[in-house]
Amino acid sequence: MSNIFNIGKTALNAAQVGISVTGHNIANANTEGYSRQVIVQSTNQAQNWGFGYLGNGTQVDTVKRIYNDLLSRQISNSQSIASSINTQLSNINQINDMLADSEAGLSPAIQDFFDSINDLSSAPNDAASRQAMLSNAEALVSRFNSLGTRLQEMQSSVNSQLTASVNTVNHYAKEIARLNEAIDLATTSTGQPPNDLLDQRDQLVLALNKEIKGTVVVQDGNKYNISIGNGIPLVNGLTAYSLTTVNSPTNPGKLEVAYQVGSTVSILSEQSLQGGVIGGLIEYRRESLDKAQNTLGQIAVALAQSFNTQHQQGLTNNNVQGGNFFNIPSPQVNASSRNTGNADISSSITDANLLTASDYRLRYDGSNYIVTRLSDNTVQTFGSLPQTIDGVSFTLAGGAMNTGDEFLIRPTANAATDLSVAVKQIADIAAGAPVIATSAASGNTGSGAISGATVSNGYASAPLASPFTLSYNSGDLSGFPAGEAITVTTSAGVTTTYPAGSTVPYSAGATISVAGISFSLSGAPADGDQFTIAANTSNAAGDNRNALQLAALQTAKTMLSGTASYQDTFNQLVSYIGNRTRELQVTGAAEDALLAQSITAQQSESGVNLDEEAVNLIRYQQAYQAAGKVMQIASTLFETVLSIR
Amino acid sequence: MRISTNTLYQNGLNRLSQLQVEQDRLMQQISSKKRILTPADDPVGAARALELQNAQRVNTQFERNRMFAENGMNAIESNLQSVTDLLIAAKARLTEAGNASYDDTQRSYIAIDLKNDLEALVGLANAQDGSGNYLYAGYSTDTVPYTLTAAGATYNGDNQVRQLQVSNTRQLPVADNGPNVFQANGNDIFAALAAITDLLQTPVASDADAQALQDGLTAASDALQGTLDNVLTVRARNGSALKEITALNSDGDSRELQYAKSLSELQDLDYAKALSDLAKQQTVLEAAQKAFVATTSLSLFNLI
Repeated sequence: MSNIFNIGKTALNAAQVGISVTGHNIANANTEGYSRQVIVQSTNQAQNWGFGYLGNGTQVDTVKRIYNDLLSRQISNSQSIASSINTQLSNINQINDMLADSEAGLSPAIQDFFDSINDLSSAPNDAASRQAMLSNAEALVSRFNSLGTRLQEMQSSVNSQLTASVNTVNHYAKEIARLNEAIDLATTSTGQPPNDLLDQRDQLVLALNKEIKGTVVVQDGNKYNISIGNGIPLVNGLTAYSLTTVNSPTNPGKLEVAYQVGSTVSILSEQSLQGGVIGGLIEYRRESLDKAQNTLGQIAVALAQSFNTQHQQGLTNNNVQGGNFFNIPSPQVNASSRNTGNADISSSITDANLLTASDYRLRYDGSNYIVTRLSDNTVQTFGSLPQTIDGVSFTLAGGAMNTGDEFLIRPTANAATDLSVAVKQIADIAAGAPVIATSAASGNTGSGAISGATVSNGYASAPLASPFTLSYNSGDLSGFPAGEAITVTTSAGVTTTYPAGSTVPYSAGATISVAGISFSLSGAPADGDQFTIAANTSNAAGDNRNALQLAALQTAKTMLSGTASYQDTFNQLVSYIGNRTRELQVTGAAEDALLAQSITAQQSESGVNLDEEAVNLIRYQQAYQAAGKVMQIASTLFETVLSIR
Repeated sequence: MRISTNTLYQNGLNRLSQLQVEQDRLMQQISSKKRILTPADDPVGAARALELQNAQRVNTQFERNRMFAENGMNAIESNLQSVTDLLIAAKARLTEAGNASYDDTQRSYIAIDLKNDLEALVGLANAQDGSGNYLYAGYSTDTVPYTLTAAGATYNGDNQVRQLQVSNTRQLPVADNGPNVFQANGNDIFAALAAITDLLQTPVASDADAQALQDGLTAASDALQGTLDNVLTVRARNGSALKEITALNSDGDSRELQYAKSLSELQDLDYAKALSDLAKQQTVLEAAQKAFVATTSLSLFNLI
């Protein structure tokens, strides 16, 4: 009889546990990371009564969570990739939106500037048109400055996001280590799994993977060891290690992620920081932000340098050769904070046409200087400095480099923010040309005419010292300046170069270039006719020759080794950022879908289904009622025995 | 397959927010009339649109340059028209002066006429364009080109020709210099007119005087004819440049049309399609909302 009571009691007990667990499931249906729990029931040890074994009821062995290790790992992986892409996407969207703004973009400012130069060529002596050109130059520079500043702000934003993310990682690592301890304690003391703690720890691993990809290895059956990158330990049993951010030794404006053990801080390579917010930020900075910043700077430098060069070929209202129109910012040179030598490296841009959007690393290995172009890791080795690579010079200005010393040279990184206009007075705009070609005022009897002379880029450094007069005699021109070769391009396009001191056969309409000066003669000169080319010492009000050449720079291929105009290079940047954003949008959507699938798969196993719990509730309720009935019957039986007298 | 209640809600939510994102995008496209909202929507198209906009701006600027050039050329043309009339009139006076029946007094009247012509001619040679720049001073557009002297007029400008960029590859002269117009081919119209004025005021007392007058008239007439020929040549050159401007303008106009058309094809929104997409989206969203409410309102708990 007591046996029946006992059986009923165990059944009642099991049903009660079942209802508890079901209630717990219902209560946590919306708890993140919760895995539904079920009871594991088995029969009690049966007893042999001689006629056979009689069951002793039921027992609850354990409460188990429905958890699939493989699916969990899949979600973590997916999460780390998706969060890396989404981080990149939300950051690059800022550049994408900035470039999309057709009013605030660079193109309209470049166009306005060159429009004003065209207007200047129509009215070179007009104070209003000169002022308009100067104002438009200021507007162009301020557009470069503001775009550059916005990109710089984005760099600061990457730094602060990195710091925040690293703090979060450290927090999670500590929590996981603490949970390792609690789980270990609970498991060893009771032999039963602390399901809710396990869920919490798995949830933390998932959250950690949002920040950075972490690999989990289970130790002793219940402790999680987590490593990042190529096996760098973040959590080891009960110990958590920490990450930190430090200034890059060669670029003080850039934070890098470092690993901290005690007081030793070592910078982690970018390859070891994959996935999650941190991996996304680093990839975004390297592939998109730095490139946008450098390319914008590259356009600023190329525009300023080609414009300056042409401007110096002109004559100002003050009758002197034009000066620099823009101030070109110098390359940024940073010595590594770990350098032991005292070398002072200087760098300047020698030819903006050859410039790339890359940064360069200069290292000394004890005997050679090694220059690495960081965009594609092209390495060049030199026995000595100075050297010029891609239009950038590298000079040892003082001191000496020790073995292993490093410098980071960023030719264009700051160019957009630091560009400024050098010309302040409208009289200093060089619209005219520094040479003047004239036919003899009287005495020429033929119909020969000389065109307005223009000068080439080399003229400014070697201006014409004294005038020269060309004389025409029986089909030949003589009187070219001594020591200067003469190049003649006929109207049919045939170019011939004559050595210095030659007489040159006359060809009507041909362009003659000598000593950096070009002009053409047309018509039919008579014997003895003379044409004089002299330095221009008085800028005529209507002389617009240099303005015309300045205006032509708008569409000239002055960048990327003569293959692209300023506008072309900017268009390439827009297209690059657009493509990259698009790529991230597409892969981001795919990864999000993959993540959602993994979560659905995991939830279909571990998630709570309320209808199912309703069924369980009824099931256990009825089991409880049935168990009660068993006990009631046992009681009735007992009553029956007691009533026998 | 088992599905968790959470998944049911989460999937419903994801789908609804996805539909709302798509709808928002359509709204933005419709309100901005643009198909490409950011470069990411169509990277190649966005860069191409920038290129086209740039070409469009350059084209517009050349059109503006041509307007300035045309103004200059028109000023020269109307000025040289007056010069031509004046030279023809002066030539008639010279012929008249050669009339053997004229006496000294009659010739002196003609001399006064020709003196007036000389002064008028210097005035025409010193003409300015609308912005106050001298037409025939070369680059020295702020210098009065000619000063009247006893022997004619001296030139103060330079002998350059001001040009403007009127298309990608073409520069055209927009002004000229005095010597090119008035003193070309060994003729100096000012000196010739001054000389013949003097001569006509000199009384003819002898045969030698008569011969000198005759020679002077011939020389003046030759100089006048030479200058007239030259002015007509300059006008013809100017006229053909004007014609070129007209051709370039019509080329510029057709380019403008082409650019505008390409730009529109590239970045403008197809309204019919966008609006029908919007209507479709709305239907889908409504259906998704209804389906979500229907599935989530079913629960066993409602029945126990």
